[in-house]
Amino acid sequence: MSLEPERNWILKADSLLLKYGRNIVLKDVSFELTQGECLTIMGSSGCGKSTLLKSMVGLLRPSKGNIEFRNGLLWGKSDLPNQEAVANFGVLFQGSALWGSMNLLENISLPLQTFSELKAAEIDEIAAYKLSLVGLAGCEHLYPSQLSGGMQKRAGLARALSMDPQILFLDEPSAGLDPINSKQLDELILELKQSLGISFVVVTHELESIFTISDDSIFLSPSQKTIIEHGAPAVLKSSSSNSEVIRFLSRSSAVDQNT
Amino acid sequence: MTLKPKSIQITQNQKCVDFTLSGDWVLRMESGVVQEKWRDFISPKTVPFEMCSFQMDSKSKWDSSLLVFLLKARKELSEKNLAVDFSSLPEKIQNLLSFAQDRGTTRRNFRNDMLENESNSFGLFLLSLQQFSTFWGKWLWSVAHLLVGRSYMRFTDFFVACRDCGASALPIVTLIAFLTGLTMAFVGSVQLEKFNATIYVADLVSLAMVREMGALMVAIVMAGRTGASFAAELGSMKLREEIDSLRTFGIPAMDFLVLPRTLALFFMTPLLTLYADVVGILGGLTVGTQVMDFSSLHYFEQTQSALTNMWEVYSGIIKSLAFGLIIGLVGCYKGMFTGNNSTSLGKSVTSSVVVSITLIVICDACFEIFFSFMGYR
Repeated sequence: MSLEPERNWILKADSLLLKYGRNIVLKDVSFELTQGECLTIMGSSGCGKSTLLKSMVGLLRPSKGNIEFRNGLLWGKSDLPNQEAVANFGVLFQGSALWGSMNLLENISLPLQTFSELKAAEIDEIAAYKLSLVGLAGCEHLYPSQLSGGMQKRAGLARALSMDPQILFLDEPSAGLDPINSKQLDELILELKQSLGISFVVVTHELESIFTISDDSIFLSPSQKTIIEHGAPAVLKSSSSNSEVIRFLSRSSAVDQNT
Repeated sequence: MTLKPKSIQITQNQKCVDFTLSGDWVLRMESGVVQEKWRDFISPKTVPFEMCSFQMDSKSKWDSSLLVFLLKARKELSEKNLAVDFSSLPEKIQNLLSFAQDRGTTRRNFRNDMLENESNSFGLFLLSLQQFSTFWGKWLWSVAHLLVGRSYMRFTDFFVACRDCGASALPIVTLIAFLTGLTMAFVGSVQLEKFNATIYVADLVSLAMVREMGALMVAIVMAGRTGASFAAELGSMKLREEIDSLRTFGIPAMDFLVLPRTLALFFMTPLLTLYADVVGILGGLTVGTQVMDFSSLHYFEQTQSALTNMWEVYSGIIKSLAFGLIIGLVGCYKGMFTGNNSTSLGKSVTSSVVVSITLIVICDACFEIFFSFMGYR
């Protein structure tokens, strides 16, 4: 009998094989996301981080393996993902992906209008509350093109929160942000994790963010096309035996390693 | 400050060769003489040396042209199994050379595969045919959902699309239809004058407009105007991951984006065609009254007698329904299947216009052949 307490998982990936056409991007990828924790997907450019994220949010069907959410498998027989599972996810895309023809209030209300029975006034109140959560109160009637990059990211986060998801997937949330905005976003993630109990899956390159927000992480290798390390980033930095992981987490290049 | 030409001096010293580089090794300076000298040295199959050493004049200026030359020299010398010594060169140059060596080359198999697939144009054609059939099937399924009241389509979007591809297109349709009617009247009048039958210009213009030109001109204008704008709009939404974000909320893009646009075009094209028919006839009337001196009443009576059979008008409307559907579906399909870069967005927009117009002309010919065989003409 194992002495380690059983982890309270909310999302589980089982032996995933991800391909684009004939080209294998990732193979044999298995991991678990623990309830209320933040899992970071790390790896150098082109290792398949965003592809893995796409598969987890229902945009890319794995060629083999499956992803299991608490209430069932994400991918059934059809090419479309299980909508009951997807309804529990919120996604922040790298470029925020706010709908340009709608203002912020409409961006956040659209999923609520589509999937809830609430009245229009209630929906507007909820949308305004989500905007205030990310520090954008008063910007309800602005259009995405009128916002700065940092504000767009926060508005994207507010939209991802619109349906009160259990898991938030963030694709490079700090990309293109200045250090101050990037830190504010990290603090927001920590706050949401602690106060709302949301679980996070974050794809990022930002080492400072990784060490600040992550409880757990997986490291993908572009050469081996699979997970080569799994664990808390701080632990990996001090105890990993893999040179690629150490180089990544210590921000050193191969040249530094050789010299 | 004037630059000195690049030069290389080769000194043989038993089994060792010294290369002394002087002059200014900058990109702006030509390197023909140096390259020639280098080729003369390196071209013999066997060389009686073991070691090559490089020096550089400390007063010389240098930039990446020097580094490229040294890297090439090192590669070619190594291929001949000669040892290369850069230790006498300035430290900065040595560091940059070792940096270039350490980074090595990145090999990406999948990029090559993708290029290979792209070069197979027949395969691409089959793929796009399959994709378009799937798209068409999904569209029909989406329409079925709408009919049973289970669609995610917002009627606000439908009305906005109706305004954009209907009312907003009126000025351009007016201009094109009026000029088409006018031109036909001019061309027809010259021919009909030979038979002293100029009044039949009214028959020619009205029949040509309602049967053929009204629907065709509107379709061509809509393909260039609205079809291209659908492709650009949806394509840029795809590039900015807006379509992906709809899917993550479980909102089908087909219902939410494609259906309102295609249905709007499907309903608006016949209305615009009817309008174009009338404006085209007015274009003919302008020539008839101003150039050929008919009275308006006479011209209208002649037009009326030409159009006693309403089937002529209906056949144009039936065609325009099909044209509207083709433009909407092709524009949205091209937008939804845009690649992930701005070049492919440009290609999608261009190709949406080209494919739409080609399909419209093919479809028009098919209609005419069908009507003729069935005795409707």
